[in-house]
Amino acid sequence: MTGKGTPGAHDVPSGNAASSLPIELRSVSKSFAGIRVVHSVSFDMHPGEVHALMGENGAGKSTMIKIMAGLHQADEGEILVNGRVVKFASPKDAHAAGIATVHQELLLFPELTVAENIFLGQTPKTRLGTIDWQKMRERSRQLLDSLDSGDLDIDQKVATLSVGNRQRIEIARALAQDARVLIMDEPTAALAEADVQRLMAIVRNLRDRGVAIVYVSHRMPEIFALADRVTVLRDGHHVATKNISDVDEPALVSMMVGRAIDRLYPAKQGTDGDVILELKDVSYRSVVRGISLKLKRGEILGLAGLVGSGRTETALTIFGITPATSGEILIDGKAQAIASPEAARDLGIAYIPEDRGSQGLIRMQTIEENVALANLKRLMRGFLVDAARVTAEAKNAITKFGIRARGPEQLVRQLSGGNQQKVVLGKWLATNPRILIMDEPTRGIDVGAKAEIHLLMRKLAGEGMAILMISSELPEVLGMSDRVLVMNGGRIVGEFDKEHATAEAVGTIMTRTFTNGEAA
Amino acid sequence: MSAASPAIGRSNLHRFLSGYGQEIVVLLSIVALFIVVGAVNPRFLSDNNINSIFAGNAYIAIAAIGMSMIIMAGHIDVSVGALIGVIATIAGTLAVAGYPVWIAWTVPILFAIMVNAGVGALVAYTRIPSIVVTLGMLSILKGGLITATAGEWISGMPVEFMIAQMRPFGIPSAVWFMVGLTIVAALFMRYTDFGRAIYAVGGNMEAARAAGINPERTVVGVFALHGFFAGVAGILFATQLQVIQSTVPPNLELTVITASVIGGVSILGGTGTVIGSTLAAILFACIGSALIFLNVSAYWLRAVLGLMILATVLADMARRRRAR
Amino acid sequence: MTATKLLRHETILAVLTVIALAVLASLSDKFFTVENLLNQGRLMSEVGLVALAMTFVIVTGGIDLSVGSILGLTAILLGVFWKNLGLPLPLAMLAAIACGTFAGWVNGFIITRFRVPPLIATLATLALYRGLAEGISEARSVRGYPEWFFFFGQGEVLGVPFQLWLLGLATVIAAVILGLTPFGRATYAIGANETAARFSGIRVNATKLWIYTAAGFLSALAAVVFVSRVTTTRSDMGTGLELDVITGVVLGGTSIFGGRGTIIGTVLGLILIQALKNGLSLSGVKGDGTIVVIGLVLIGAILAGALFDRNRGG
Repeated sequence: MTGKGTPGAHDVPSGNAASSLPIELRSVSKSFAGIRVVHSVSFDMHPGEVHALMGENGAGKSTMIKIMAGLHQADEGEILVNGRVVKFASPKDAHAAGIATVHQELLLFPELTVAENIFLGQTPKTRLGTIDWQKMRERSRQLLDSLDSGDLDIDQKVATLSVGNRQRIEIARALAQDARVLIMDEPTAALAEADVQRLMAIVRNLRDRGVAIVYVSHRMPEIFALADRVTVLRDGHHVATKNISDVDEPALVSMMVGRAIDRLYPAKQGTDGDVILELKDVSYRSVVRGISLKLKRGEILGLAGLVGSGRTETALTIFGITPATSGEILIDGKAQAIASPEAARDLGIAYIPEDRGSQGLIRMQTIEENVALANLKRLMRGFLVDAARVTAEAKNAITKFGIRARGPEQLVRQLSGGNQQKVVLGKWLATNPRILIMDEPTRGIDVGAKAEIHLLMRKLAGEGMAILMISSELPEVLGMSDRVLVMNGGRIVGEFDKEHATAEAVGTIMTRTFTNGEAA
Repeated sequence: MSAASPAIGRSNLHRFLSGYGQEIVVLLSIVALFIVVGAVNPRFLSDNNINSIFAGNAYIAIAAIGMSMIIMAGHIDVSVGALIGVIATIAGTLAVAGYPVWIAWTVPILFAIMVNAGVGALVAYTRIPSIVVTLGMLSILKGGLITATAGEWISGMPVEFMIAQMRPFGIPSAVWFMVGLTIVAALFMRYTDFGRAIYAVGGNMEAARAAGINPERTVVGVFALHGFFAGVAGILFATQLQVIQSTVPPNLELTVITASVIGGVSILGGTGTVIGSTLAAILFACIGSALIFLNVSAYWLRAVLGLMILATVLADMARRRRAR
Repeated sequence: MTATKLLRHETILAVLTVIALAVLASLSDKFFTVENLLNQGRLMSEVGLVALAMTFVIVTGGIDLSVGSILGLTAILLGVFWKNLGLPLPLAMLAAIACGTFAGWVNGFIITRFRVPPLIATLATLALYRGLAEGISEARSVRGYPEWFFFFGQGEVLGVPFQLWLLGLATVIAAVILGLTPFGRATYAIGANETAARFSGIRVNATKLWIYTAAGFLSALAAVVFVSRVTTTRSDMGTGLELDVITGVVLGGTSIFGGRGTIIGTVLGLILIQALKNGLSLSGVKGDGTIVVIGLVLIGAILAGALFDRNRGG
């Protein structure tokens, strides 16, 4: 708050117009492992404004906010707080400069009370130096009341609270630190509709008090309802910063998507195969609601939607991780109870999960161990695993998918993202599946490997594979899919064939229906 | 919505009960036990017996205070029984050798703090799980103790050394220690930053770091504190009888851990109070004594303890799943 | 985890073991005699049997603290079934082993069904099973077993103690299962990344249940050998066994975090510990001084492993 400069800070004469800016980034660049993810981006915040930061996945948004929060250090460029150049060596320095973050994963202590969660690390003290619980509770009460959250019990344990309530506690925590800049990273991603409305009211409340809010979100209606300015990033470059009144939704979408889509993706073929997978009114608890869909041989069916819209949850239900609580799943027209991933695999279903590191791969094991894992039953001789066949299978996958590795004995964690993804593919294609579910198939993968995986998907479809592809990247959905289904609030809210699937049409229905509450 | 009244549907009493639920259950169990067993066999309520229940087990309750802190921080220590044995032996040896009493009391406690701070440093900075480090320590302390003493008992300690047998204001000093340390520890856990840091680190290490707490230093500190309580427990253990057996009290670590868990300290860290562990230690002592007075074989005591841990842990798991 | 890397720890351990054996042999001429070595083998058989199962448990990222109590409980039940219930001894043996195996299954059930951390679940059953042993026996020991029964603990086949044959056979089976079968692959996968294992169609809970049940079975088997060796049944049998077993397994290179470890390593770890115990006592170190050495070796080995991992940037 005091604008505590860290070593290297030098003063800019006060009274300068720039000195009132609570944070300003000038020509900031950042690379990871030699790949530049942020190219000389400038960004500033005025007191009392909501500044939306937009872009597709991988556009550099999260790197930008991590630089502001002190989690990453910029390679080039400078950060100014109140007109002084500062360096954030750690999140602590950023806190001291009045910058707070509402984390997506909500860093709270479930077993402690609301009041203590708000003040932990900077508790009010009595004259004896002990914690002043009374003052802490009073100030928590005031803070929450000032956030229109009088209904939150400050003595309740956080473990019992909903996500929306927890988020409000994190916001109160930031206020308790006297934050002048509040970074909100996809704050509505995991919220129910009523909580979204409430959050928006709180954001306006903060803005009116002079807090500058960096608002990261994909959801157009929220952006237009809240933001004063919007900055769009694409592939790590700054595309534009505009007043919200100067842009409309299609303009924003085209700024975000930017490039022409068609030429980057392999040509589509016509498909008219038989229906191999059919879902009839399938539900899982309240996250997957009455999904009905048909998937044909040789088809790539795109499943679009925002994070939390039920896409991945639907895939997990088909794959038997969270077996359906109602409805029917038919394979080749026969109803099947898929109670576990083994059952799904034995029915010819393969699932390439969205989180490679924790769900797709065993990073401390070798390529051949990973490739064999889903297919052990078939790679046996007698009671034993046939090591020679395991190696052969891995070698086969390496040549077939062009995995760049020293050999089947290389540890998976030493491979690049693209090559890791190919190992996951190799593992599942070794089971000879007929239905391939790919969840975010190219997330965190560089452009070259992306194209290779897209080509491979098209080739597999050409050979008769039925592919269900889930993606947050609109260009990928549009470029790859023969048909697009859009999910929102756990339901399917739209279907487009390839002629009618445009960025505007799909993007609009992805974001709009949700906030309008039409999904119900 | 701002008009909503605070604390909807939750009275102060309700909140108190939910915050101290486990402690209240344990306390009621103790009371019920006294009433029932006392009715069956009035000798259970004799001064002598009550004295021996409280004074004889005070050292377990004190060790359980430190263990509760360790578990709240998300760790465990299975070497505490051996440490208490070592402390008792060092203290007795010093006392018999003619050192001033205050040296015989404080030096072993300092030793315990240092040993455990070392264990804490290993756990915090090398990321070796505490179960492995303390298993190793158990072995080192136990072996070292038996080797050094060759199993011989220590006796003939000076009278002024026998602190556990003193009775200020007619109440055994062990009980004073138990009550006093429990209150001090409870206040410490509630009103100091370090006390809260223990809960924070055990509850969510990354969130603690983000809140400006240094988790490594907290872990070293909590192990050192645990060493202090083990040290005091060792001194009381050394001075409650006329001889020190120079062996590790069998399964003491298990009793201490059980007291913490049944007193409401969640084994997954981040929650619990030291009052609960003291009450639980008293409860065990009562159960052990009650079995004798009810003519039930005391051999079933440990099976009862095992069932109690299991029930408490399962209840804790169920509670957490509901909360999610 | 290539074969060469996997074996690196085992190679170091093997060299260490050979050096220890050489040093100990030079310290005492009684050490390197066939009689002494076979006798040492006899003494390490019970720990060895349990350590085989514990290797699987720890490779999955779990732990089982209740093995010593299962051993004690099985021993007591053997005595009770035979002497108090009057079952024929062979039948009593089978029944007691079945009970011990069931005790292991209960561990697995609590861990997989209720998701209780293995450390806590088995800490509770450690108390419970030992308590049952104490309660059932009321500290009375059972003696007077028939002569033929002592074969399991004292007998020899072709000049080699019976339990060494048993341990050898169990070792080969365990090594084959862990190293060469789909079950073994599943065990490693669960320890290395349980979620990814589940997403790859591995039956995670079933695998774990089998492993904890096997730990119960081998502890029960060890109990029969133990009773036969010492000719009597007491409720405190196997107290502290878990420490010896875990030390051997961890010293053998099995990562306490799971995902890594071999049966060969465990066997080498056990041999090293037994050799240290025996050698030190032969060269005049008092019995319990050896425990200190084992504790130091345990912490040292893990510390070395942790630093080694860090240097590799793991």
